[in-house]
Amino acid sequence: MTDSMTADLAQEVAAAVNQLRHITVQLRTQGAATGAGILWNAAESDGREGGLVITNAHVVQGDRATIELSDGTAVRGRVVARDSKRDLAALEFEPGRAVVGAVVRDSPPLRVGELVIALGHPGGLAGAATLGIIHGAESEREGRTPRWIRADVRLAPGFSGGPLADATGRLVGVNTMMQGGLALAIPALAVEAWVRRAHTMALS
Amino acid sequence: MSTVLQSLSTALADAVESAGRAVVAIHARRRIPASGVHWQPGVVVATNHTISRDENITLTLPDGTTAPASLAGRDPSTDLAILKLAGQSLPAASLRRDGPPKIGELVIALGRPGPSLTASWGVVSRADGPWRTWQGAEIDSLLRLDLAIYDGFSGGPLVDAGGRVLGINTSALARGVPVTIPVATVERIVAELLERGNIRRAYLGIGTQPVRVPESLARKLELESDLGLLIVSLESGGPADRDGLLLGDVLLELDGAAVNDPSDVLAKLGGDRVGKPLSARVIRGGQVKALQLTPGERPTSRAA
Repeated sequence: MTDSMTADLAQEVAAAVNQLRHITVQLRTQGAATGAGILWNAAESDGREGGLVITNAHVVQGDRATIELSDGTAVRGRVVARDSKRDLAALEFEPGRAVVGAVVRDSPPLRVGELVIALGHPGGLAGAATLGIIHGAESEREGRTPRWIRADVRLAPGFSGGPLADATGRLVGVNTMMQGGLALAIPALAVEAWVRRAHTMALS
Repeated sequence: MSTVLQSLSTALADAVESAGRAVVAIHARRRIPASGVHWQPGVVVATNHTISRDENITLTLPDGTTAPASLAGRDPSTDLAILKLAGQSLPAASLRRDGPPKIGELVIALGRPGPSLTASWGVVSRADGPWRTWQGAEIDSLLRLDLAIYDGFSGGPLVDAGGRVLGINTSALARGVPVTIPVATVERIVAELLERGNIRRAYLGIGTQPVRVPESLARKLELESDLGLLIVSLESGGPADRDGLLLGDVLLELDGAAVNDPSDVLAKLGGDRVGKPLSARVIRGGQVKALQLTPGERPTSRAA
């Protein structure tokens, strides 16, 4: 790799991280930072009018949380769906302006070794990023979405509920926990299906 | 838009995919399988510590099929083991033979702890000259890694960004710290294990501890160095015992060279020294005494 390629790479990583910051929110309960969340394209998936944030169920313990957007504005969020078994929660909020949500990667399937970027708020530090690779894509047998994406990225508390994105900035997973030095993320496609189901259930 | 970043991502995934075609899972212990590398046609290299049985060993190949393998030899001192695999048309690993990687070089550790390939990435944190494992084997270069160890790490290959194999990874040679046994060492051990089934190493059957000879005695005996090795254990009937070495002797010289550290003794005990007498100088009863010590062939899985 030439000098200019290394410089380009550094700039591109910075640009990709900056772009991901806009879809990453920080969640607070009674003033204390509890983790991260992802702005979801709610209108696209189910015609919802308000804003929607997806995070881990363990990040929002109660019914309400403060959502801090990337520009620093804080809005009140209300938990509209929670699934402790899958460790997912959805919060609704009144954005007050147009917000752009994450773009989910539908295809191609993840390859082991692909670069991934994780964003979160370790120790309340807003918008921290780590770079890693896909460690293992649990085999997608019979077209079923794997339960976890395993990534070789080092996450700290505060990354929970935040995005795991590919080299083009598309969302591939929701960072959930560390296990044996590896990060486990819920696949974005599984989250997308869960959001749709959660909404259907809420309507019926 | 982000072109270099995307190409790097694709290049890393390509390197994993191509190198992964020669990485197999080895079922030779309880619970989690270990990894191995199809090194040359019909020969799989693995780590010794992850193979706990000698028979009934099976492999999961990259295409998901299972194949039986037979153990062709082990070398505990380099933590390598060789398996033979018959009748499979598996590609062999692409080896990088142009010397060790550089410090800071981007590397990927591959494993296959089951049907699927796994990877972690990092950099070479140390690349030095030859070193000796605690069981006395010489490793051509010391490669330490800054990357995550995971299930299936040991026995897997360390590959460069182009997917070429730099060596075999193990977490069992340096107190859990990940190290890579370089290609040159693996090739040497593979050749010897295939030929003989074990690695020939000379041994004396002694345990030693560095000591400082009292200054007055050192002066009286006109020693060049006041350091020596106290014989603290002696294998009964072992080579040194047979040649008249006694507990409490202080070994000063072996084969004409001063010995200050147990590794100085190991350095004199290569496989070609079996049965060839070594001159030795020891302090016994306040006097310097000359002896001849003839190393024997070390039985497998025993310390120096």
